[in-house]
Amino acid sequence: MATNPVYLDHAATTPVREEVFEAMKPFYGPRFGNPSSTHRWGREARAALDEARERVGRCLGARPDEICFTSGGTEADNFAILGAWRALKSKGRPAIVTTPIEHKAVLGAVHHATDEGAEERLLAMTTDGVVDADSFDKLVNDRVAVCSMMWVNNEIGTIQPVAKLAAKAKERGAIFHTDAVQAFGKVPIDARTQQFDLLTISGHKFGAPKGVGALFIRRGTNLEPLLHGGTQDRGRRPGTENVAAAVGLARAAELTLAECEAHCARIRELRDKLEAGITAKVPDAVIHGRGAERAPHITNVSVPGTDSESLLMALDLRGIACSGGSACQSGSVTPSHVLSAIGVRPDLASAAVRMSLGVLTTEESIDRVIEVFPALVAKARQLTTAE
Amino acid sequence: MTRERVLVAMSGGVDSSVAAAMLVEQGYDVVGATMKLFCHGTDVPDRPCCSLDSVNDARRVCEQLGIPHYVLNLESRFGHDVVDNFVDEYARGRTPIPCVRCNTFTKFRDFLQKANAIDAQWIATGHYARVVNGELHRGIDANKDQTYFLWGIDRDVLSRMLLPVGELDKPRTRARAHAMGLEVIAEKPESQEICFVPDGDYMRILESRLPANAPALQTGPIMTSTGAVIGQHAGFARYTVGQRRGVPGGFPHPMYVIAIKPETRAVVIGTREELLGSGLIAREINWLAEPPAVGARVSIRVRHRAPLAEAEIVRIDGDELEIALDEPVSAITPGQSVVLYDGERVLGGGFIESARQQRSSLPVLAA
Repeated sequence: MATNPVYLDHAATTPVREEVFEAMKPFYGPRFGNPSSTHRWGREARAALDEARERVGRCLGARPDEICFTSGGTEADNFAILGAWRALKSKGRPAIVTTPIEHKAVLGAVHHATDEGAEERLLAMTTDGVVDADSFDKLVNDRVAVCSMMWVNNEIGTIQPVAKLAAKAKERGAIFHTDAVQAFGKVPIDARTQQFDLLTISGHKFGAPKGVGALFIRRGTNLEPLLHGGTQDRGRRPGTENVAAAVGLARAAELTLAECEAHCARIRELRDKLEAGITAKVPDAVIHGRGAERAPHITNVSVPGTDSESLLMALDLRGIACSGGSACQSGSVTPSHVLSAIGVRPDLASAAVRMSLGVLTTEESIDRVIEVFPALVAKARQLTTAE
Repeated sequence: MTRERVLVAMSGGVDSSVAAAMLVEQGYDVVGATMKLFCHGTDVPDRPCCSLDSVNDARRVCEQLGIPHYVLNLESRFGHDVVDNFVDEYARGRTPIPCVRCNTFTKFRDFLQKANAIDAQWIATGHYARVVNGELHRGIDANKDQTYFLWGIDRDVLSRMLLPVGELDKPRTRARAHAMGLEVIAEKPESQEICFVPDGDYMRILESRLPANAPALQTGPIMTSTGAVIGQHAGFARYTVGQRRGVPGGFPHPMYVIAIKPETRAVVIGTREELLGSGLIAREINWLAEPPAVGARVSIRVRHRAPLAEAEIVRIDGDELEIALDEPVSAITPGQSVVLYDGERVLGGGFIESARQQRSSLPVLAA
């Protein structure tokens, strides 16, 4: 009898929620108008878009004009970093501070800025995957245009003290950006009490479709647009707005926050059970970032003497979907830059398997992983010693 | 009934694609995988093998066949076992044959380990060769036969290998690709070059990996077999035995490289007759069948696509082998392989250490 497949890769993407899909449908049907049009069809679309902006704003503690819809997390990160740096570079602030454990969307944007003359400063990390406080104090000074820091790390789930560090960065006159793609719905986010200037969210991580995200842009933060064209979204993001996606994002964000407490408690319990189950059977398994405060949905485990490429294949062929480090262009698994940056030994880094929990995760699926993963690990190690 | 699982090495080319498709038809539980063996970065135009486009082609074929596809990163092991050795061999004045080492170490060792990890009893490739009763035989298509590159694999692996296209000739393979709707790859050109050498320019690899003062890259004398220096060359790594390009003219007969002497950096040239060898010594011998005895008659091949030559084994010393040829053979090249056949059957092979100019006879016992 075939067992149910286990999807343990919610940090990669999540299914679109039925309610979200329903909310979007009218905009693929009768309410197809262009929000910039002045007629009735346009007004209907405009109303939905305005409302979506307000609703996403409420979810973040932001005003509607502080929400800029984007094509997703990558665009929002690029807009934040390049937009802020380009706006400030001529004002005696040539530096960008970030961490070595950012998503490639941030690291890639920072590297691009260095091609345009930016000075890149990478913060030191503790072995638990948290920003080193001394390093932050040293690097974030009055030469810094932007400081960008991922709130919850996508590979190991560690939480950065964003509220505290955002306040410090503000004192020193730097713009503070946080990639909150994995944080939304997992840690409390409130622009009214936390001092970040820019914040990225991505819809498909919490039940909205792929291809939509948003950048929170605090009033008074000047960003140079990435795209040039019309005057949509105050000229910040020209191009006809994706009304359906914005509506979907708003709906998904509201549902996520409404269920946040119960959902997080549930997956935290399952995550803890998963980790306990694996370490009970594989005592030398290393759970990365375990000593730090972590989001409830991600666990990243390395078993000495195994390699993630083979394990991921074997898990997949048993119907269990996990992921390794960041996938490269060809789809091959390369050792994670995040694990390398927090000082994980290369052999352990290349054994890392990320399991991320979410709406599809059940007690039964966790039990199955606790059974299958240690068995595959034992087999892999047997093969290693036989070679 | 559980179907037997097979892990197929898929390059995105027509041969391995058809191999995978045939195994699907035969009812196996087929898993496709493309090995990522090297990375040129972004500045080299697309290669016919191992490039991103090849990965994409292999994935498209697997999608069409309805089987899973993975990309396996074997870059560091391939770099060590194959590319480093390729560079070392040229540095020693030899002409390496990386495809042999890739098969020995990468495809039929490292890849096999991936198969073990997923409980695949079988591994398959698109090689033109056959496994018959646990022994390796030449492929049906004499023009395409690839056993020359397969002699080095572990004999035990034979019992786990499936080589479906070894039963076909190339036109039939292409026809099968069309018939099975694999239009993505059906007419892809053959990859003739060494996959990790961009544009066939192996000197670029050597120059980037050897120190600038490596002897193989320094000028040295071009001389005749009598020791007369007749010119200079710009690095002996640019030469291989049998080569005419880069050899000075002005002789009554065409002249060829007949030897490379790394200790003096000399490239020795000579006539077609001087290029002939009547025997050879090979090392790192590997047997894929019961080892033959001294005195055994064998057919050998000393170069891919060279005609088979009849020969006799005159000495076997551990992993060293000496062979005497019935008729002299041209351009026996250190670093290339010698493969021994008994009819269609591959007995084994080794890396050529040196050619013998004089025919060796059987050792005379008790002088």
